[in-house]
Amino acid sequence: MLAERGAAVRPISGGTDVMVMIKDGVLKEKELLDLSRLEELRYIKEDGELIRIGARTTYREVERSPVINAYAPILVEASKTIGSVQIQNLGTIAGNLGNASPAADSVPSLYVLEARVKLASVNSEREVGIGEFFLGPRKTVRRPDELITEVSFRKMEPGSHFFFKKLGLRSANAISIVSAAGILKLSNGKIDWLRLALGAVAPTVIRSPTAEERARGAELNEDSIRAIAEGASTDARPITDIRGTAEYRKKAVFGLVYEALYEIMSGSGKRVVFGLEGRG
Amino acid sequence: MTQETYELYRYLNRSIPRLDSEQKVRGELKYLTDVYPEGMLHGYVLRSTVAHARILEISTEEAERAPGIRAVLTYKDIPGINGYGAIVPEIPVLAYERVRYYGEPLALIAADSMEQAKAAAEMIKVRLEPLPAVLDVDEAMAEKVKIHDKGNVARHTVVKRGDVSKAEAQAHLVLERTYRTPMQKHMFIEPEGGYAYVDGSGVVHVLAGGQSPYRDKLQISRVLGISPEMIRVKNYPTGGAFGGKDDATVQIHLALLAYRTRKPVRLAWTREESGIAGYHRTASKITIRTAVDREGRLLSNSAKIVLDSGAYQSFGPTILDVSIETINGPYRVPSYLIDAYLVYTNNGIASAFRGFGAPESNFAIESMMNELAAELGIDPVEIRLRNILRTGEEGPFGNVIRNSAGLEEALNRARSSGIWRRANGSGWIKEGVGVAVAIKGVGFGTLPDYPSAAVEVIPEGKVRVMFTNPDYGQGVITGIAQLAAERLQIPVSEIEVINADTMHSPDTGSSSASRTTLTAGSAVVQAIDEALSKLRVEAASSFGASSSEVQYSGGRFMYRDRSVTIYELARRLRQKGRSLRFEATFEVPRYPEPVEGTLEVPHMMYMYGVALVRAGVDALLGKVNVKEVEFYADIGNVINPSIASGQVEGGVVQGLGYATIEEYRYSDDGRPLNINFTTYVVPTARDSPEMYVEFVKSYDELGPYGAKGVGEIGIIPVGAALAEAVYRATGKRIRDLPITPWKLV
Repeated sequence: MLAERGAAVRPISGGTDVMVMIKDGVLKEKELLDLSRLEELRYIKEDGELIRIGARTTYREVERSPVINAYAPILVEASKTIGSVQIQNLGTIAGNLGNASPAADSVPSLYVLEARVKLASVNSEREVGIGEFFLGPRKTVRRPDELITEVSFRKMEPGSHFFFKKLGLRSANAISIVSAAGILKLSNGKIDWLRLALGAVAPTVIRSPTAEERARGAELNEDSIRAIAEGASTDARPITDIRGTAEYRKKAVFGLVYEALYEIMSGSGKRVVFGLEGRG
Repeated sequence: MTQETYELYRYLNRSIPRLDSEQKVRGELKYLTDVYPEGMLHGYVLRSTVAHARILEISTEEAERAPGIRAVLTYKDIPGINGYGAIVPEIPVLAYERVRYYGEPLALIAADSMEQAKAAAEMIKVRLEPLPAVLDVDEAMAEKVKIHDKGNVARHTVVKRGDVSKAEAQAHLVLERTYRTPMQKHMFIEPEGGYAYVDGSGVVHVLAGGQSPYRDKLQISRVLGISPEMIRVKNYPTGGAFGGKDDATVQIHLALLAYRTRKPVRLAWTREESGIAGYHRTASKITIRTAVDREGRLLSNSAKIVLDSGAYQSFGPTILDVSIETINGPYRVPSYLIDAYLVYTNNGIASAFRGFGAPESNFAIESMMNELAAELGIDPVEIRLRNILRTGEEGPFGNVIRNSAGLEEALNRARSSGIWRRANGSGWIKEGVGVAVAIKGVGFGTLPDYPSAAVEVIPEGKVRVMFTNPDYGQGVITGIAQLAAERLQIPVSEIEVINADTMHSPDTGSSSASRTTLTAGSAVVQAIDEALSKLRVEAASSFGASSSEVQYSGGRFMYRDRSVTIYELARRLRQKGRSLRFEATFEVPRYPEPVEGTLEVPHMMYMYGVALVRAGVDALLGKVNVKEVEFYADIGNVINPSIASGQVEGGVVQGLGYATIEEYRYSDDGRPLNINFTTYVVPTARDSPEMYVEFVKSYDELGPYGAKGVGEIGIIPVGAALAEAVYRATGKRIRDLPITPWKLV
């Protein structure tokens, strides 16, 4: 079906985005391809150093998976903030990718996990890095004849610190004004490396090269945290919309990153401990 | 009915479950938009997609010929008057000559299917000559672009007492500040909608969510040009209203389509349509200048109040009155000068919304009181205690304070509360606690108000209670049933309520202005007294006694060792062919004349509230996190504490939304921007703070069993109290709601 007339067909699974687009009359495609019974695409697998998540896996399943909780707890954090429990029960990992919203709440974590997205068509299969997958708001490299089938990434390093912070106007069912996901590796009080991704501040989710560069080798103290957070704010290129002004979003990026790193410094941040999520 | 019997009630002061909650929890209760009558047509409204324009042409010929189309109506097809509006019938039912807001109805369609209706709408030829959209009240008052030929000020009035300039000259401190509040959308669970049909005898039945069935009926009759007796309106059950369904929404359009097609028609707005065409709260801009002596006692208060009415007036004139009445707070204000304007813009239509005019003015006066307290170094609760009116004093509008003891007690309770000044911020989270008081009149002030109700004693063992104040979720049915049970001394389970149906109930008026307990409650009590006095005579005659010798208790009349139940008496009356229905009309107590310059100020009955709000502010993100709210209220005797408390809590959360995240907005060309739950966010359960609601002991002899009202009091003081909490946390005074994060960083 996709191979024959892919451009006119929209794959649908949980429908938490597609149904809204239909209701608003903004869905371009005329036909739907219902994937919701494709149980083959619903899995979370350990594959050596890799975790593989089937495209149809819901956020609720991610949240409850012992594998994800052990090896990629940042994705658990992110999944919990998506919409509401009702949305988490239906929304799928591939749906959040395919919808390509710059404010998608699972995507920053996938950026810092350096995830790869598998795309399959009738006669080909390819994998692209998450950073190359998105082209802009609602735009991805997925060709009309392709389906997202899997997302994979390396297990998080034991002992690494992580955070996912989302700023919405309210506590549930809120679209992010800004969001930030980070994984941080510390040794002896120094930052080995930081991977930092920002949501809702650019046409796609972005990594923050300035913040990451400033973090490398830095002592974790208030000065460095400030410098890193400022770096993140510099890299943000937000717009003004109904949820917030560009100027405010830049300030909020600083605030989110500062608060997250401060929590790690003060020992209240979250950490991967021997593959199990733990505190401090 | 005296205060001494306070402890002796059997069915009052009790938190019985709502009579319709089981049905609601099971999902069995059907709203009127859940009904799809057999053989119905689908109603659809073609709306303007510009905010301001001259209408050059609306041609429907092609649409009328489209498949499945049963009617296409424009202003030319209106048999009666093309106008409605709760106060002034100036809102076009269907636009003619001019379009004054985005979403204004241009044509109505009835079709066999919704798809056909929408397709036909596309075929209607509309030619509009755009005019500049006026979206700002100051711009409107400059009168460069006239929205109405008569000018852009719908109402201007000056209300004054004493010599303000003299008071200011003698004052220790005079502060002037400008405060703004935004438009707010009701966002009820059920968007506006319902259905209509014409029965065999030509009566037009309109069953739609609403707040005022008899006013709906009257407005429909004017537009259809037929007698009100040929119209029936039913409003129960309605899925939330908050004022947004007080003026007509779909009712007149439904009636027009059913009247024309003689078929059942369903018309229900989508959420987005509700977002575009539904009513909203007036935005306000209030400049207030207040003079005090060294001890913080008020000497004078001047205010320029400007309310944005949108394209038409709806309740605007009375909203302006409430804002005038509220601007002096519950305080002793020796002199004042209030200059108040209701201004037309192209921002939709502002109408009723919980407390209308009061949350707007309250934000100004209560923020001012907090600013004065800070300037003078006086505790904010103390400055209020120094200024509130005490029982027996005359209020600023000549009203004698009969029972403000409740407010003083509420303030004292607030001052001794554990959270008052318990701010525990740390790191980037700054905490503060704020206070504000609220006053709100119950009912329509000096306007004549004669609510009627009826009861019918059913021999099979029920007493049917009939009144028209719709229950749209407040719990009216339950509260009134408790009052009826108390009066009759029979269990609530023997009370059956017929609500908001003009076919059964006499006119009790609207559910608005926190008046339902007073109006329906008093009228029902009176109707019961009427019933009991007739039944007493019947009982006496059967006992061969005089009626003064007959005792009544627990649903039976007694004489010596004999007794007879009201149901047995009803059975006998029925056999004699006598009516079992008893009707009564209550006269709402009021002052004979309004204060000069007003329509209905003052009231005789007021509710009071004191809100304490504890909030944390994230200094880096500007995000306000409301942690705790305590609310001390004087609402008179409390019929059902749980329902009353729920009303206050709901009001508080709605007030927190208003104060933090809710702001209905228009684009520069007058297109509404946030029209659904994705873009217009309201607080969720997770955003709700810890809440504590306490009703101070109070009894108002004008109300049924001492009760006043409750619906609006919760929302009113929340904005000012939160703004004060934010000030105490951050040192920043926010004078324009909502307090969004970007105002704090």
